[in-house]
Amino acid sequence: MKAVQFEQIEKRYGDRQILNGTGVTVRPGECRLLCGNNGAGKSTLLRIMAGMEKPQRCQVVYEGLPQRWQRVKRRLMVDFIYLHQQPYLFEGDVTYNLSYPVKGGRHARQEAVDRALDWSGLRALAAQNVDSLSGGERQRVALARAWLRRPDAMLLDEPTANMDADCRMRTVRLLEALKREGVALIIATHDPRHFGAISDGMMRLEDGSISTRAADFVEFPKNVTLLDRRSRIRA
Amino acid sequence: MDSISDSTVQALLLLITGDSDLWAIIGISFKVSLTALAIATPIALLIAFLLAFGTFPGRRLLIAVFNTLLSFPAVVVGLTLYLLLSRQGPLGEWQLLFTQPAMVIGQIALALPILVAMGHAALQSVNRRAWETARTLGVGMPRAVYTLMREARFGLLAAMLAGFGRIIAEVGASMMLGGNILHYTRNIPTAIALETSKGEFAQGIALGIVLLLLAFLLNGILQVLQGKGRHAV
Repeated sequence: MKAVQFEQIEKRYGDRQILNGTGVTVRPGECRLLCGNNGAGKSTLLRIMAGMEKPQRCQVVYEGLPQRWQRVKRRLMVDFIYLHQQPYLFEGDVTYNLSYPVKGGRHARQEAVDRALDWSGLRALAAQNVDSLSGGERQRVALARAWLRRPDAMLLDEPTANMDADCRMRTVRLLEALKREGVALIIATHDPRHFGAISDGMMRLEDGSISTRAADFVEFPKNVTLLDRRSRIRA
Repeated sequence: MDSISDSTVQALLLLITGDSDLWAIIGISFKVSLTALAIATPIALLIAFLLAFGTFPGRRLLIAVFNTLLSFPAVVVGLTLYLLLSRQGPLGEWQLLFTQPAMVIGQIALALPILVAMGHAALQSVNRRAWETARTLGVGMPRAVYTLMREARFGLLAAMLAGFGRIIAEVGASMMLGGNILHYTRNIPTAIALETSKGEFAQGIALGIVLLLLAFLLNGILQVLQGKGRHAV
């Protein structure tokens, strides 16, 4: 995947301007943290990038070509996976959920599920109904399911919220594995310290709009809050 | 009192001994009602899906219409269709009046509002993230729709059972559209009405027992499904 640039993103809910002509660049194998207060528009931004929420305006430079968001919406939905804070798992067991995005026959599905179970360390839970899983386990199932889709980017909304330290560590390890495989990660979080080990930098949404352009951030680190560096030092 | 108990004993004997007339009536009832349900269900699910997830002008009005039709008397549905299908009616050329297809049409008209209203409620109760998740996992539109149906399956099955319960026991539309012809359009409710009017209660009671058992069975299945649905949420 080439870098994908989202430019001039505008989003309003009624009179309220959420995103004000800002931009974000997604690069393969990079992990960016997206911070900001509640209601700043973090989830909205991620959902626009995942092709799930229509912006009033947005241009996407996709494979080097500038295009309107509407034209690349479907491709974004396929190549970028948005994971909600509490990911939705379909009724059934872990195996059913993991096999859901896999195309092909029974054998191919089973093979893929086996790979995902090994990758995520969820083998012991393979036959467990998803209703009985903890929040951390559900998040890992969702990550493993998304991993099977081989996405270009994963956009995660508070992936470690309300998790204990052990769950958080397991989740971050999976994210690290995704990053190593070249998947771009954008993580909306209130606590960037949790991702210090994998983060390549941070963007901040302020006053309902992005105050630091991601592109600026990459080229001009002076514009960026240094929380991620501090967190690395702490780690 | 004696006549009631005698009739009940006779009714049980009719059921047990496999009285051919009685079982023909039961057979016609199930054939007509299951056919109507099989035709109405996919149409209703499609409408319910559009009402639950679509955004189009008149959506709220359509929901209100289907909710209103829920309480539409069967006999009025029968009368309306009778006027349409009668020889002088706009669909008189089809020559469907007093046939099983006419009864099926009537029962479809009766089942549709229940299936749509309950199906709509069941689909609306599915978390919207189910749709988003399916789409973001790269599945096509048909599979995403199927996924939503699967997530709402207990509610949808309950809708089908309620719809079946309504049409197999209704008398008004079946009487007007079918004509109560023995071995052709006489079903359980029309037979009960006829036998009772003749003062021959045994067959009426036997058929009543069948309907009661069916109602009990459907309610049992509903209870189990609702229990499973609650567990799954």
